Amino acid sequence: MDLDFLRIVPSIPFILNGIWVTLLFVLVSAILGFLIGTILSLFKIGNIRGLKWFADAYTSIFRGTPLILQLMLIYFATPQLIGYDIPAFLAGILAFGLNSGAYISEIIRAGIQAVDKGQREAAEALAIPYKPMMKDIILPQAMKNILPALLNEFITLTKESAIVATIGFMDIMRRAQVVSANTYTAFEPLIFAGLIYYILVMGLTLLGRAVERRLRRSE
Amino acid sequence: MSNPYIKINNLHKSFGNLDVLKGISTTIDKGEVIAIIGPSGSGKSTFLRCLNLLETPTSGQVWIGSDELTAKGTDIMKVRQNVGMVFQHFHLFPHKTVLENVTYAPITVKGVEKNVAEKQAINLLKSVGLSDKANQYPNRLSGGQKQRVAIARALAMAPDVMLFDEPTSALDPEMVKEVLDVMKSLAHTGMTMAIVTHEMGFAKEVADRVLFLDGGVLVEDVPPEEFFLNPSSQRARDFLDKVL
Ligand SMILES: Nc1ncnc2c1ncn2[C@@H]1O[C@H](COP(=O)(O)OP(=O)(O)OP(=O)(O)O)[C@@H](O)[C@H]1O
Ligand SMILES: [Mg+2]
Repeated sequence: MDLDFLRIVPSIPFILNGIWVTLLFVLVSAILGFLIGTILSLFKIGNIRGLKWFADAYTSIFRGTPLILQLMLIYFATPQLIGYDIPAFLAGILAFGLNSGAYISEIIRAGIQAVDKGQREAAEALAIPYKPMMKDIILPQAMKNILPALLNEFITLTKESAIVATIGFMDIMRRAQVVSANTYTAFEPLIFAGLIYYILVMGLTLLGRAVERRLRRSE
Repeated sequence: MSNPYIKINNLHKSFGNLDVLKGISTTIDKGEVIAIIGPSGSGKSTFLRCLNLLETPTSGQVWIGSDELTAKGTDIMKVRQNVGMVFQHFHLFPHKTVLENVTYAPITVKGVEKNVAEKQAINLLKSVGLSDKANQYPNRLSGGQKQRVAIARALAMAPDVMLFDEPTSALDPEMVKEVLDVMKSLAHTGMTMAIVTHEMGFAKEVADRVLFLDGGVLVEDVPPEEFFLNPSSQRARDFLDKVL
């Protein structure tokens, strides 16, 4: 066994800088995914047939194929199809945003449908129109179910984001690979990157628990 | 007789091929209090819910005032503004305070100004004996208090008709009276009320008329004295034997 972390010490700041890159990437992807997920979930619970069908098909396709394939398709097919040389960041955001939109739409749909049916009836009996009913009555209550699951999705995104390294995006993972190539070390940079991911994920997990505790207390 | 306020003509409702209401016809005058009685599954809730279009009638006609609810293109929202409903399980909005529960619909639906709506709400809460609870959240209230807030919430829309679906069935026995008392004083204000209830004493005392439903059929439609002392149908007699 020949592990020598001293060899990568000069490269540590370089890898650490990847934290912001990764976090920014995850954040933007999550926001995009949340927007798409919200819209899709409204399609799913609404009663317009075509939109429902679209949202279900969308979810099925994005959940039914590998994320890395979606990423590759967007990154390599975009230049070929429309002649636009798509940057890795944009391709990654699109793939992750579109993909997590499918998962988030299910989270939101389930959260909304878990709200007591009586709430909706009470609102309807009071002649409250659909939009304010959703915004003021149903969604605030659904958030209690949705928020913890959303944080889980965020954690998943953080881990899975490492696959954007495959298209050359300079996140934590990619930086570890670069260091590995430059220093002729196989393990040390990867183990270091793994440690960073683990700390990030643990931090988010603790945050999730805190949020859940607060939600439960406000019952 | 005067022109009745609510007219129900041959009302049918089915869910799939289950016929729940099999041609109900009756009328309700302005200010009348109707008790709806019948065995479980007889269609009482369904009947009530057809009156504010929480259920869409399969066929037949319902008029409230000059509006035909069953006409094509009826403005459902306009109908519901005029018909308040109180549920067995209250369905208060748990994330809103008592005051917000009462003011939300007038502000949102009718565009009443917030301070005006709040003044109104305080008065309504006073009338149900709960003005001191205005800033509490519903989960801090007892069942009886919740139901009284639910009544105030429905009244805040200033409806002409109030529907009650077993308003005391989910309450502990010691809280039934406070809710029935509120309903009684509401009846005295001349509110038109349709009440699904198992409280026979209340029906006897407060109702102007009893509708007895069985198997989706309106079997009796008579004043309470007649219903309780001298029911004409065997089905009503059997039912009363069981519950009295
Ligand atoms: N949305 C629905 N879909 C299918 N069947 C329904 C629906 N609502 C009610 N039913 C059925 O219609 C019948 C009458 O129901 P309803 O709730 O009107 O009875 P009820 O007289 O109010 O009974 P209870 O005293 O138990 O409340 C029942 O057999 C019930 O299962
Ligand atoms: Mg019922």
